[in-house]
Amino acid sequence: MDKIELKNLLFLARISADEKEHPKIIEKLQNTFNLIDEMQDLDLSNLEPLNNPLELNNVSREDVNKNRNSKNEFLDNSPESDKDYFLVPKIIE
Amino acid sequence: MNFKEQRDNFRSKKVSAKEAVKDSINKINNDDLNIFINIFDSEAIKKAEFIDNNFDKFKDAPLAGVPIAHKDIFCTKGLPTTCGSKMLENFVPPYDSTVIKNCNEAGSVILGKTNMDEFAMGSSNETSYFGPVSNPWNSDLVPGGSSGGAAACVAAGITSISTGTDTGGSIRQPAALCGITGLKPTYGLVSRWGMIAFCSSMDQAGPFSKDAFGCAALLDAMSSYDSKDSTSTKRPDKNFENLLTKDFGSLKIGVIKDINSFGINSDVMGAYETSKTVLSGLGHELKEVDFSELSSGICSYYVIAPAECSSNLSRFDGVKYGYRASDQKDISKLYMETRSEAFGDEVKKRILIGTHVLSAGFYDAYYLQAQKVRRMIKNKFEDVFKNVDLVFMPTTLDQAFEKNRESNDPNRMYKEDLLTIPANLAGLPAISFPNGFKNNLPIGGQFVGNYFSEDLLLTTTHKIQEVSDWHKMTP
Repeated sequence: MDKIELKNLLFLARISADEKEHPKIIEKLQNTFNLIDEMQDLDLSNLEPLNNPLELNNVSREDVNKNRNSKNEFLDNSPESDKDYFLVPKIIE
Repeated sequence: MNFKEQRDNFRSKKVSAKEAVKDSINKINNDDLNIFINIFDSEAIKKAEFIDNNFDKFKDAPLAGVPIAHKDIFCTKGLPTTCGSKMLENFVPPYDSTVIKNCNEAGSVILGKTNMDEFAMGSSNETSYFGPVSNPWNSDLVPGGSSGGAAACVAAGITSISTGTDTGGSIRQPAALCGITGLKPTYGLVSRWGMIAFCSSMDQAGPFSKDAFGCAALLDAMSSYDSKDSTSTKRPDKNFENLLTKDFGSLKIGVIKDINSFGINSDVMGAYETSKTVLSGLGHELKEVDFSELSSGICSYYVIAPAECSSNLSRFDGVKYGYRASDQKDISKLYMETRSEAFGDEVKKRILIGTHVLSAGFYDAYYLQAQKVRRMIKNKFEDVFKNVDLVFMPTTLDQAFEKNRESNDPNRMYKEDLLTIPANLAGLPAISFPNGFKNNLPIGGQFVGNYFSEDLLLTTTHKIQEVSDWHKMTP
């Protein structure tokens, strides 16, 4: 992984890091990939990927209205809100 | 005092719920191990009084009048839930998770929320924003993780039961390192609703107690079908506590061939060999099984868990709840600075790994390959369970280790999960129980069972604990 790839990755993950820290981050990530890469030698071409251990069927329910948590309780947890809205910095110039 | 004695004392009116709660609160006030993140003493006293005043309603409930500590990953209505992170330091959920609701209804009293690795990412409890937890057996050592506070709480005798979660070993490894019993149920047995998500396809909540009896009673309370969790399974109701007396007869127990090659410490191996003798003495047949695939589980886990974590933790953006970086004039910078300031280094690292393995160009080589390894491990377990009822192995490679030991070699820490991860990948239930001591520190062994065989795991462990004393040792 090089510095350009790391910059892209940091942006995708919406994490910022001082450029001085980049070599250290690359080293830490590379260290983990060295561990993970041990699986690359396995020939598993005949296996289907498994994304959930129980391979469950979808669960459906009747489309009926249920009591929901109140709006205000959720807005109270917001760092900044006004009446019915979450407030964020201006998005459109 | 163990769980059964505590509940018997309540049921016989020897000790009221309020007295039990006050006793636990006194112990918390003297705790210097950093076990709790938040303590709810006044709420606990009120709830205990309510239970005492409604004795007839609660006396037969599975957790009647017993104080409990919950891992700080379960949402508690009106009470802070931090997940060990600065991101949620001031988060007060507007609802109870299903586990909390079930435990409340079962007659237990919440004392507080226990310390944990940040967002459950760690094996030593050192990634917590609220500082590390010390091991009750030796305060220079870690209690394990990620449910380190919950395990230390029971080991230190503050409560007789606590809840944890296990994504790659986070119940079983701290249980082993703290000398108590801990069970990771089958994926889908306990609802994940209201439990802060790390790796949704592996996360599973489960009980801690000194012994299998306490774990059985707590699992009876915790498990339920829940329509709010689409991976919750509808199962015929089993009463795990009552099933402890069931005679499952002589079992075929699988032991791993060439297990020495996994780098297990000689003291842990010594305890393992002793336990094998105990199992034979109880009339079980030991059968060697070839499971060389076990070691590939680590690679698969450290791709799939970060991948799911990078997706799950994308919700923390400083908008709707949790931490927000101050004075940001631009929405993109608000996201970036919020996440950079409020996530710890280990969490950021796993988000970056997860984002990388899911990105175009790397998906097939990493994520897809890891899912195939996962299939291989599940298939292997299915083969193994055609010939044996349970698999027995040590829980960890080593005993409790010193704080900061792993900071220079994180891969060493990751490899500590070698023997616990396979059950998570396959979604199987597993139980860790104390099976030896060396250097005045506990050692743990674990059984892995077939899907929904929690009754067999608990009962087999219970029978061992009837003829051994490892679970009775106290720091």
